[in-house]
Amino acid sequence: MKSILASITLIGLAVTTLQAEKIVIKGSDTLGAKLVPQLAEQFRADNPGVSFEIAAEGSATGIAAVIDGTADIGMSSRNISKEEISKARLNGRDVYETCIGYDGIAVIVNENNPLSELSARQVERIFTGDVSDWSALRGNPGIISIYTRNTSSGTYSSFKELAMKKRDYASSSQKMAGNEQIAAEVAKNPLGIGYVGLAYAETPGVKVIKINGVLPSEDAIRALKYPYSRPLYLYTGSKAEGITAKFLDFSLSELGQKSVTKVHFIALDANSPKVSVPVKLIDEAKKSTEPLPAK
Amino acid sequence: MSDPSTKPNDNPFRSRRWHLFGVDSDRVIRTFFAGNALVAIIILVLITIFLFKEGWGFFPQNYQNLKLYRQTGVEFVDVLKRHEEDFSALNRFLNNIRTQEVQRHKDAGETLAEANERLKPFDLYLTAFEEGGYDITDLVNELKTTATELRSRYEIYLNQAQLRSNLEKAGRTKEAAAIELVPVDLVDEVKSIQDNLPRVISTLGALAAHVNQMQQTIPREADTAMTARLEKFRSLLIQYEASFPALQQTLRSWDPQKPVSAYHAVTSFIFGREWVTNSYIQDWYGILPLFTGSLLVALIALCFAVPFGVAAAVYVNQIAASAEAKLIKPYIEFISALPSVVVGFFGVAVFGEFVRYSSQAEWLSWVPFFPISERLNAFTAGCLLALMAIPTIFTLAEDALNNVPRSFKEASLALGANRLQTTIRIIIPSALSGIISAILLGFGRVIGETMVVLLCAGNRISIPDFTQGVGIVFQPVHTMTGIIAQEMGEVVREGLHYRALFLVGIVLFFISLLVNFLAQKIVRRYKLGSN
Repeated sequence: MKSILASITLIGLAVTTLQAEKIVIKGSDTLGAKLVPQLAEQFRADNPGVSFEIAAEGSATGIAAVIDGTADIGMSSRNISKEEISKARLNGRDVYETCIGYDGIAVIVNENNPLSELSARQVERIFTGDVSDWSALRGNPGIISIYTRNTSSGTYSSFKELAMKKRDYASSSQKMAGNEQIAAEVAKNPLGIGYVGLAYAETPGVKVIKINGVLPSEDAIRALKYPYSRPLYLYTGSKAEGITAKFLDFSLSELGQKSVTKVHFIALDANSPKVSVPVKLIDEAKKSTEPLPAK
Repeated sequence: MSDPSTKPNDNPFRSRRWHLFGVDSDRVIRTFFAGNALVAIIILVLITIFLFKEGWGFFPQNYQNLKLYRQTGVEFVDVLKRHEEDFSALNRFLNNIRTQEVQRHKDAGETLAEANERLKPFDLYLTAFEEGGYDITDLVNELKTTATELRSRYEIYLNQAQLRSNLEKAGRTKEAAAIELVPVDLVDEVKSIQDNLPRVISTLGALAAHVNQMQQTIPREADTAMTARLEKFRSLLIQYEASFPALQQTLRSWDPQKPVSAYHAVTSFIFGREWVTNSYIQDWYGILPLFTGSLLVALIALCFAVPFGVAAAVYVNQIAASAEAKLIKPYIEFISALPSVVVGFFGVAVFGEFVRYSSQAEWLSWVPFFPISERLNAFTAGCLLALMAIPTIFTLAEDALNNVPRSFKEASLALGANRLQTTIRIIIPSALSGIISAILLGFGRVIGETMVVLLCAGNRISIPDFTQGVGIVFQPVHTMTGIIAQEMGEVVREGLHYRALFLVGIVLFFISLLVNFLAQKIVRRYKLGSN
């Protein structure tokens, strides 16, 4: 389904310089929808000779492209898997990982709802329709109104992955066009529940639910303690050089991190390592911490 | 007609004639207008052909899809999943009993915490019941992952093979050879899912034992109403338990190679009760939930639009003074100038909230389905659509009334009928065919409207729950027009989902064709002979 968003965006063409440099970025639509294009645009302000080709078709395609060498940077909203690392090794690539921020999905209910905490299993049961009444969760009796994003949204799928074991949404769920709409409906409906990006969790009239006892605070999301949080990665097939390295550095810079916050993701904090690190298979990590020699 | 070339001086327009490439001006002008009409017709025909071409492809693709559904074992998992869902339904039933109990205690003046405290023993039973279902849920999830993974691998293989043969055809053999094909042997691999049968059977056995045990340990309660509900629950459990052997039989005899009937590809669309897209398991394209949703909204709209539209037409045509008519008529017609997105926005921001707010009013609490919790529902959308249908119905009905010969009215008045009698007994029946076709065209207007329903109908893709009686009008629904607008942006060209949306478009096309046809037919059939 993500391939549907296969909108290949060609941001600008190098007109002024003779020697056009191009960065090809592929992967996650979570990153590719707003954040990376915005970073690219700002980056181009300082480096007018650079052009970008961004294709957002899902994290898996991004990592595959890095492995195949068809992209300079792969965007991913999940960790690279062991199989993918080993496949990359086969292709003679040493994958480097740069974490540029975090994403969290907050589950919200109406402020008059007596519940303030749910377990991950309960959330799954609510959104899949296994339970249909608040009373089953020890809340005030009433039929649960479920608000979800519409199917084209990246969050629609990520929530399914993160919270619902990839099961389908209840047929009683209502599909809303945006985060604002979900927050507005939940704020008005005492029996409503929905999920939104963190930026919308502050909407008056809604209450953020603790999941397994954890509130989606920025710190909990950065530490990935909150169940519905995920890191946003940029992968490269070798240690980045030249213009690609410059772009990675830019996205980790203060200006780049400002963009991360601007599109409602969680920026890195002072403690986060702001460097690209080589990814390792677990056993190697135990043996040595030195980067492997690139082939 | 006389030939102008022989008698040039008789024609007063002679002097204005001009020639273009040897063709005279009459011909040129005629050709120009005829050409325009022709272009319009050709474009319309092309659109229709395109619609059908894109939509019709749904059936073969859906057939393939259903075939894969069986051959990859997803169907096997689905059989099990439905059984698991039945268990969830039982769980919900039990939870509903709890809900009613909490409500009863709350009505007796207890707080939520006190009611929860009181229900603790019952909750133990409830939790025990729920936990007994975890194993089957986990098993379904596991098998589901295997089956869907198999399907996705197979689909990738098919795509790659297709790509390779395309490249070979294009003569790009080098690129074709570079494509890595990982063959998937469906017949062989689906066995790995079927191999789980003993485990499935034993898990089902454990579940059956659990259900049996729970059935025997249903708690005894003092309250009679609750006891009755628990007895109902017991009978449901017994029913559920009885369904196990049949399920095991189905699972045992399930055969991935059994052919899928092509007929099923059509019926699963027309009679399909589910519209599930972007699923990790299986997409379903059944039009029924959307069709019923559209119909419900349209009927609600007509309930309001017909009385208002027709009555206004009768008033303006028969009763109002001419100064009044001159004010009312353009005013009503002006409503149709409101862009539908503005009306929809008004519905979201003001009207929906108003409906919910008023449903909470004390003096309305006797209405069984009040207060409502959804402000975006079929009623909200229907009311706003009524607003948009009124001008259509009004204008056409007024025309129909206008067409009633004056002699009818005069004859009636001459026979001593008063104005009201004349209007109700003579004028309206005479214009009835026109009024009915006005209503039909109003219906067509409503069912084709998109923006308002997309914004205000609540977008819940499920067949309205008819057990709720009149409360059904306050349920959120999704519509055929709304789904096209909402999902068209995310579909792959020529994919199954894309074609399904086109097919929904074809259904809409036929509905409005039928409505227009009927409207014309009615007008012609009952047209008054004289004028």
